[in-house]
Amino acid sequence: MQYLLLTYVFLKVGLLGFGGGMAIISLIQGEVLSRGWLTQTEFVDIVAISQVTPGPVGMNCATYVGYAVGGLWGALVASVAIVVPSLVIMLTICYVYDVIRNRFQQNRTFQVTMRIIRILVVLLVAHAAYTLMTPASFIDWKSWVIFAVVFILMLLPLFPQKSTSSSSLTSTFSNPILLILLSGLAGWLLYRL
Amino acid sequence: MIFQLFWTYIKIGTFTIGGGYAMLPLIEREVVDKHHWLDGEEYANMIALAQAAPGLIAVNSAIFIGHRLAGWKGVLACVLGAVLPSIIIILLIAMFFRDIKDNPTIEAIFKGVRPAVVALIAATVVRLATKI
Repeated sequence: MQYLLLTYVFLKVGLLGFGGGMAIISLIQGEVLSRGWLTQTEFVDIVAISQVTPGPVGMNCATYVGYAVGGLWGALVASVAIVVPSLVIMLTICYVYDVIRNRFQQNRTFQVTMRIIRILVVLLVAHAAYTLMTPASFIDWKSWVIFAVVFILMLLPLFPQKSTSSSSLTSTFSNPILLILLSGLAGWLLYRL
Repeated sequence: MIFQLFWTYIKIGTFTIGGGYAMLPLIEREVVDKHHWLDGEEYANMIALAQAAPGLIAVNSAIFIGHRLAGWKGVLACVLGAVLPSIIIILLIAMFFRDIKDNPTIEAIFKGVRPAVVALIAATVVRLATKI
């Protein structure tokens, strides 16, 4: 019964969660608090853990809430249920997009429309970056140094390189995985030692 | 191909810290720059579609790329790769390390990682603008 309810709740969250991570978390919050599954404090702790562990924050939160409510099986049920609406809707969108693209690829209106959408996407991601510039992430000047170094290293490959060796060097350091690991190391050195 | 998609998404899923947008720099690196599975325009179109559909942006983008490259098997490989690291790590934490967020070392590491993630997303804006 509990698993059925978890399935229902997370299908609903997956279906109505427009806008990604934080929108999904507020939906989950509404569900777990109104059903008395968790207290506010317990939920806030789960969100905090979801943000400091690898993986998309909405998925982390769904898995953890599923575990808190229904143990191991609860976690699996919640994780699968939140993805199912995405699978149905996103696959439909992909099919429709492929059909439209194949049919109208040479169409001027289609090209212009897609170009406008792409410009909006850039603004959307810019807005996401801006909203993430919170005091919680930028606690002192050292945070800004880390921000500046990572930002510059990521943009270096955009500039023409003099030699192939410096080009392979900049492409090594514009690796997000490496930069996340190095920034974690920097955090440990700057704030713990 | 299927295994390569799965492995690529395991990497992307493991190093996404925060919401779906934190996944974008990793997708760009692996999918656009390294494997050339999508060009810059298609990558921007993918972000638009993944954002328009409900659910996790990370999962929606995995569905788009899996579908484009290898049909339904690709979809399964990418989605599993994107969510498995999440599920496994959260289960380990929920079962064994509930106090992890209060650990001062973990806290210090994340003080370094958080501004870096914002920088990665900010750099994505500029890189994306040069690709569309």
